[in-house]
Amino acid sequence: MTTPAISIRDVTMDYPTPDGVNHVLDGVSYDVAEGHFVSIVGPSGVGKTTLLRLLTGLATPTGGEIQVRGQRLTSSPEGLAVVLQDYTRSLMPWLTVEKNIALPLRNAKLSRTATRERVEESLAEVGLTGTGRSYPWQLSGGMQQRVSIARAIAVRPSILVMDEPFASVDAQTRFDLEDLVLKVRDDFGITTLMVTHDIDEAVYLSDEIVVLYGKPAVVRDIVKIDIPFPRSQMTTRNDHRFADLRTHVYGMVRGLE
Amino acid sequence: MPAIIRRTPAGVISTIVALLIWQFIGSFGPLAGDSFATATEAITALAGLLTDSVFWAAVGQTLHMAILGFIISIAVAVPLGLLIGLSRFSYRSSKFTFDFFKVIPPIVIIPIAILAIGPNITMGVVLVIFANVFAVAIQTAYGVRDTDPVLLETMRCYRFNVIQQVLHARLPSAAPQISVAIRLAASAALIVAVVAGLVGGAPGLGNLLMRYQSGGQVDKTYAVLLALGIFGILVSRLIVRAQRRIIFWTGR
Ligand SMILES: Nc1ncnc2c1ncn2[C@@H]1O[C@H](COP(=O)(O)OP(=O)(O)OP(=O)(O)O)[C@@H](O)[C@H]1O
Ligand SMILES: [Mg+2]
Repeated sequence: MTTPAISIRDVTMDYPTPDGVNHVLDGVSYDVAEGHFVSIVGPSGVGKTTLLRLLTGLATPTGGEIQVRGQRLTSSPEGLAVVLQDYTRSLMPWLTVEKNIALPLRNAKLSRTATRERVEESLAEVGLTGTGRSYPWQLSGGMQQRVSIARAIAVRPSILVMDEPFASVDAQTRFDLEDLVLKVRDDFGITTLMVTHDIDEAVYLSDEIVVLYGKPAVVRDIVKIDIPFPRSQMTTRNDHRFADLRTHVYGMVRGLE
Repeated sequence: MPAIIRRTPAGVISTIVALLIWQFIGSFGPLAGDSFATATEAITALAGLLTDSVFWAAVGQTLHMAILGFIISIAVAVPLGLLIGLSRFSYRSSKFTFDFFKVIPPIVIIPIAILAIGPNITMGVVLVIFANVFAVAIQTAYGVRDTDPVLLETMRCYRFNVIQQVLHARLPSAAPQISVAIRLAASAALIVAVVAGLVGGAPGLGNLLMRYQSGGQVDKTYAVLLALGIFGILVSRLIVRAQRRIIFWTGR
């Protein structure tokens, strides 16, 4: 058996509160296979963002441990890129769009021309060619979110973590970005973890869906999405298997099954 | 409103009105007499001072104290504030001390400063530094602490080290606060440099003011006041203009 990209082992997370502790996660275990696309779904407030914060090394679990390629996680792992839920606050208002995207590339030690090409390429991928000289606050919310996606793919990550990345874009852009994410995953073999509220989206994109449920939250179900790749917005979403899986996940998230 | 008034900047109109009132009070009010200069007398005297080398020497000394003290305070306070702001512990533990020194008016340490340094330019510089360094440092520290945590977390995810986080996130985040502190410091520097001469015997415009006053040269006393007001406005205009260029992303 090969080492999983990410291994979540019996992870517990408590937040201290003025009146006792808030038990958020209770013994969550899950292995993410290298190159897989995994969605995390569950009701609002269940602890999805909390789990992502643990996976990115921003927080340390109260109990259990997280391993990345066999190494116990102590800080953000190498090759990580993120698209956070609060996208407006994750871009720097004093830098232009292209400089925002170029900033994390400093640590990759690319040449100046290589950096510029990488930035242009990433902007083109998210459909924002020509906006490089603008400041983030001059763009719409959806465009800002695409900038943070461009910044993430520009670093050629091996692990991509996204928290509701498409929540604020229109339906058409959303479909385009979903296909973009599938394409970069395919091109670069990125292990991707995504939190979403949109169950159709989770089914369309994922190899597996992890359903969190309860207070404290446990892994209620792991749903394998056995719809073959490549997938397409037109045909996949009309597949009867797609409908079955969606219904199943929906019931799980709602606590109906 | 007549077109001529509508097209004149508001500042010009209010200045003219103020000068007229000043002229009127100085000519007819209870203050009229030898101990009060009218606007025209003060302006005439100021025109005279502009060709007087004594006046310009005093201007030079005051600016020397104000500018040198200002530059040293900023050069010390901003890095200091950055360091203090980096950890919650150092911020909490320094805040009290700095707030304590911040509220001590520089004028009350003049007696100590005269004893320690003597009534000279250096004392003026030290007073200016004392007046500003604590406020600018604490404001910088506050700005640094106030950096958006989401921004810092994003940087941590992309594995930026602490120095990169300071340069690319904390410092620019704190820039608006630092610049407000700097603007206040510039005005305070001018005021304190004058006070150093007025009360502490340091050279410069404050000292000149004292000399004119005790020599009964009423019109020149008022002329110096007028000059100080104009300097103050010029300084703050200059700084506001520079700030708008440097910190363009706020106030949108
Ligand atoms: N930094 C924190 N300190 C204390 N409690 C927290 C913190 N972050 C989250 N919580 C608590 O943890 C629980 C789960 O929050 P979390 O943000 O992980 O939910 P979520 O599943 O991402 O919700 P949503 O779908 O609304 O984004 C909530 O009860 C929340 O109040
Ligand atoms: Mg969340």
